[in-house]
Amino acid sequence: MLRREGYPELRGREPMPRVVIVGDQNSGKTTFLGLLYAAQVKFGSDKADGFRFHAAFESLDEISGVFQRLMSGSFPDAATKEGVREIAFRLSHRRTGLGILSHRRSRGSSPESSASFQLILLKSFEDEMARSRERGSVDQRTLSSALTGDAIVIMVDATSLAAADEEGELAPLGKYDEAVASLLMAVQRSRDQAQDKFLHPIFVLSKFDRVDPEVLRRVDLDADPPDVSKKGPHAEYAKRLVDPSMPKTMAAIRSGGRRGLQFATPSYFFSWVRTDEPAPGRDERLRLRRRGAVGWEPDYPSDEYLAFLECLAGIAADTRA
Amino acid sequence: MPCALLGDRASGKTTFLGLLYSAQVKYGTGVQDDFRFHAPIQSLNIMSAVYEGMKDGRFPSATLKEEITELGFVFGYLRKVVGKLPYYIRQQNWVHPFSTLRFSAYDVSGEDIEEFIETGIASRPLIQQLLKSVVVCVLVDCSKMTTEIDTPAYKKMLRYDSTVAKLLVSFQTYKKQEYDRLKDSGVRADSPKIYPVFVLSKFDTLRDDVLARLGLHRGFPDNNRARKEYAEALLRVFVPQTLSQIRGGKVAGVSMDKSAYFLSWVRTETHEGMDPVGQSKIVRTGFAPEGGGEPDFSYDEYVNFIEHFRDIAHKIPDEILEAERFQAQVMARSA
Repeated sequence: MLRREGYPELRGREPMPRVVIVGDQNSGKTTFLGLLYAAQVKFGSDKADGFRFHAAFESLDEISGVFQRLMSGSFPDAATKEGVREIAFRLSHRRTGLGILSHRRSRGSSPESSASFQLILLKSFEDEMARSRERGSVDQRTLSSALTGDAIVIMVDATSLAAADEEGELAPLGKYDEAVASLLMAVQRSRDQAQDKFLHPIFVLSKFDRVDPEVLRRVDLDADPPDVSKKGPHAEYAKRLVDPSMPKTMAAIRSGGRRGLQFATPSYFFSWVRTDEPAPGRDERLRLRRRGAVGWEPDYPSDEYLAFLECLAGIAADTRA
Repeated sequence: MPCALLGDRASGKTTFLGLLYSAQVKYGTGVQDDFRFHAPIQSLNIMSAVYEGMKDGRFPSATLKEEITELGFVFGYLRKVVGKLPYYIRQQNWVHPFSTLRFSAYDVSGEDIEEFIETGIASRPLIQQLLKSVVVCVLVDCSKMTTEIDTPAYKKMLRYDSTVAKLLVSFQTYKKQEYDRLKDSGVRADSPKIYPVFVLSKFDTLRDDVLARLGLHRGFPDNNRARKEYAEALLRVFVPQTLSQIRGGKVAGVSMDKSAYFLSWVRTETHEGMDPVGQSKIVRTGFAPEGGGEPDFSYDEYVNFIEHFRDIAHKIPDEILEAERFQAQVMARSA
């Protein structure tokens, strides 16, 4: 039998960033992972050969199932979603701007010049959200999964952003915001002995193609976020949506003390995948766009995903340091 | 050393093997005598039956394909040093005159492989043999290269891409784990390497509009670099997961960078202005002193395919001997 821990990091030999993904039900977590894999396949097979990735054997069956559905124009179905719990992959990038990966790029793509990641979907968090909207504490099962994370991806479903009143403020995301804030504080409390350790919060505004235009108008934002290469304006745009919607979470992140686990400056990304108008009685279909002259791919912001991968590479550099 | 030939159902595996048999019959009986071919009797019967049928202008029948449970053959290449020895010494078995590669064909939609992909358990002998392969030859069926996303061909290609990518990753994982095991036992070993080969099968059925959109001509270049670019332009579109995992092998510690690419086609009869009814008939070459009545196929590509493995065959036995020595050391240490 092939051991289901293909990478030495998974066997505890080297530090490997663990990225925990939390989100409310139907916030687009599985689609996000599927598109992340699609972006890796896209950049990992392009002519320039500047980006290489390797999916772990134990992850590939599930994630390629999601990929097949996305490439055929369908969203992941319930069975596919159930199967996807975590994915592990290793990546290497020859372009500049990838911290540990770039300064070793002269050595080419090799295990030494690459970094591995484990992305874990926190299904228990979703279950907890569904089960109890009243409880103020964090379930032990959720906490134990999140405890060893180096980064936490907080999915913010852009379709749930709403204006609070006529004055222009956005309404907080209520229970979801509280749950994430509770989780962050619980993680911080339980790791208060950690020295010089950082937890990197990453906000992903999912389904951004369906954000209510009125919401954007109220906070005086353009319809589309700035290009991801313009880091300052891109982050500022996202902050103006996330700060008022997730006030408790943002407060928890800012309240990091001087000792123990610290929260790093949050990173922000946008995700969407365009769809076609569904025919009556039919499921919603993804819009596929041309990839190159002949191929097809979902209509999604691949540059946002590449930037997300670069962000992970930076976290890997911190973890190894 | 085991080599795997992977193909989907109806991807042209049997035809490929029949044509390979045809090519080796011609090439292996040349004056030089530096290449030899051997197949177990069951495989030989099938391959020669396919070959006979093709000489008669027919593609392999479904019944014949069903008979294939395990099909294998051996390529033998005369070792360079041995080639310089006098003929009578060269013929002695103790000289080990030929470096050999043992090929086995696998149907990736087969039950064994599907079960292995789902469970990761390599309990069946067929899978254990498959994972030990150092050469992986992937057949990519050009007749399924379509740009129409709602067709069964498009979906089949998507599924095939996923399956082959998963198999390649399992090869890499197996090799890496074996390597780590040796290293943990204090044995020095070279980083693992797999030699991938892609055969673009049924190339004559590839649609002109696909080639035109990719800016490719129908002729396959001779130059290795140009061949790689040509083939990768197609693979990038139709089997991107496979291509990305071949490249990604290196970051996981298993080099698969030395891919080689070949075409396979066999000319069929066409009747102007009419669609063929039933299976098309194979065009055969005319009779000539050097032989004739043969199927008109990409013979040069098959010769290139045979020759591609010469260096690999010469290199691999040393690696295997080393690996066997390592295994012996490991056993001795643990005893």
